Amino acid sequence: MFKPLTQKSWAGIGAALALALVLPLITRDPYVMHVMVLVMIFAIFASAWNLVTGFGGLKTFGHHAFFGLGAYGSALLALNLGLSPWITLWLGGLIAAAAGLLIGTPILRIRSMPHVAIVTLGFAEIVRICIANFSGLTRGEMGLWGIPQFEGFTLPGIGKVTFSPADKVSFYYLALALLVLMMVVIVRLMRSKTGLAMLAMRDGEDAAESLGVNLTRMKLMVFGLSAFIVGVAGAFYAHYLLILTPASAVGVDLMISIIAMVLVGGLGTFAGPLVGALVLTVLIELMRDLENYRLLGYGLLIVLIVMFLPRGLVTLRERLFPRPQE
Amino acid sequence: MVNLAAKPILQVDAITMRFGGIVAIDNLSLDVKQGQILALMGPNGAGKTTTFHVIAGVHRPTSGRILFQGRDITNMRPDGRCTAGVARTFQITQPFEQLSVTENIMVGARPFHSSMADLRKASEVYAHKVGLGDKLDAPAKGLSTGQRKRLELARAMATRPKLLLMDEVTGGVDMKSIPGIIDLVKSLRDEGLTIVLIEHNMKVISELADEAVFMNRGARMVSGTPHEVATDPGVVELYLGEAKDGH
Repeated sequence: MFKPLTQKSWAGIGAALALALVLPLITRDPYVMHVMVLVMIFAIFASAWNLVTGFGGLKTFGHHAFFGLGAYGSALLALNLGLSPWITLWLGGLIAAAAGLLIGTPILRIRSMPHVAIVTLGFAEIVRICIANFSGLTRGEMGLWGIPQFEGFTLPGIGKVTFSPADKVSFYYLALALLVLMMVVIVRLMRSKTGLAMLAMRDGEDAAESLGVNLTRMKLMVFGLSAFIVGVAGAFYAHYLLILTPASAVGVDLMISIIAMVLVGGLGTFAGPLVGALVLTVLIELMRDLENYRLLGYGLLIVLIVMFLPRGLVTLRERLFPRPQE
Repeated sequence: MVNLAAKPILQVDAITMRFGGIVAIDNLSLDVKQGQILALMGPNGAGKTTTFHVIAGVHRPTSGRILFQGRDITNMRPDGRCTAGVARTFQITQPFEQLSVTENIMVGARPFHSSMADLRKASEVYAHKVGLGDKLDAPAKGLSTGQRKRLELARAMATRPKLLLMDEVTGGVDMKSIPGIIDLVKSLRDEGLTIVLIEHNMKVISELADEAVFMNRGARMVSGTPHEVATDPGVVELYLGEAKDGH
């Protein structure tokens, strides 16, 4: 992870990026674009959760709280203060990060991981219930609608870019830009000395501490950064769908899907959350015809992948073509 | 070789450590002089590892103080003590299993190199020093007990400590490797490092230690040269007495 990237990995990254860039030239079908935008929102969320859990070793199950705080925070700021979504997008991230640091301070002193898991889950439930009940502000279960859209702009050489429900291509490119930005942040962090110290913390807290790693500071940093990234993803989601409900933005099933994506793709890897988000989101769409049996098939698939590829889909190649042993 | 008038680099000042009703360390004081190798001896449960935990900052003592280079570090956290110059190895090794041998050592050497390439190069030197030069890119997960012990030593050395706490570095290591470890510790001492070791192997103690402290039930029972401690009637009786009980 800390060695310079090989030509092969650069080629892989370049190919994936090129494919993502040209996809709208192949099809502008709104349904395909919509699924791909969701894939990228989930990919950002999954990568941020993987940062805390796969790299930091903190087993949190309450990250949907940050998604909801980012979504509602950004939507309400844009609605009530008239701020541009281009600004509230980042404010949503900051609100989530502030909540992350606030809740992180007491939680992260807990060394027992099952307790961290249940406390973070409880925190998210509190956030959901608050959003559902402060209906004067959030309209509760009736849903928050009328969320302002991203304003269009003119790109030199390309022309006018507009964001409307009818044309999803601009959303696609915006989501892609956010995904690439967040991935650059995560990859650069993890390949630095800080990332090294974080992996040390994951593999052995006592040993890491004895080698000069400040555990509290490290945990707060990774928790805050991860919450920020998830918050931005939530804010984008709000200004993309233009309607929010407590269940859609802070529901525990959202968190469960994200965990499934990371486990299916490969926990503690860069590509795993991206692969997992793509595969699971596309699969569940492909299985729409199965109607009621859809979730059954979905669950079966997750079970099979986790059974036969416990380290995720990213290890599929190794599994099919094992390298000769020394 | 050791200047006995040298100032103590580490002073353990009347430490008591209680866990509930159990007294793990009972009013223990130690002076470790600059450049000295001090061996902590004693039966299992004597409080040796707990003493290390208190010196390294894992436990705050119930009462008493820890002074390092004259500075009170009793309330300092483990990572702060590492930065101050106290390094340790663990009795039950704690390698970063998913990292390679070199990356494990890089964690310790982090503060001294700004670029990852320099950090890696410097860390490989430590791996060679402890005899893991052929395992640089091997994941720590697959190492044998002896290799893990040496990896811990390399990791601790990479933090550039002034005081090194070694908890049973020869425990579980095959007999052939022990002379190599003894030579390594001697070379560290010759570089000016102060070392406290917990050790059961009397041959290792007599070859290395300038002074030995024998602990029993959390307190100092006997101290002196390794020979004096090993031939002390009380120590002999304690071990033979244990032998009679069938241990």
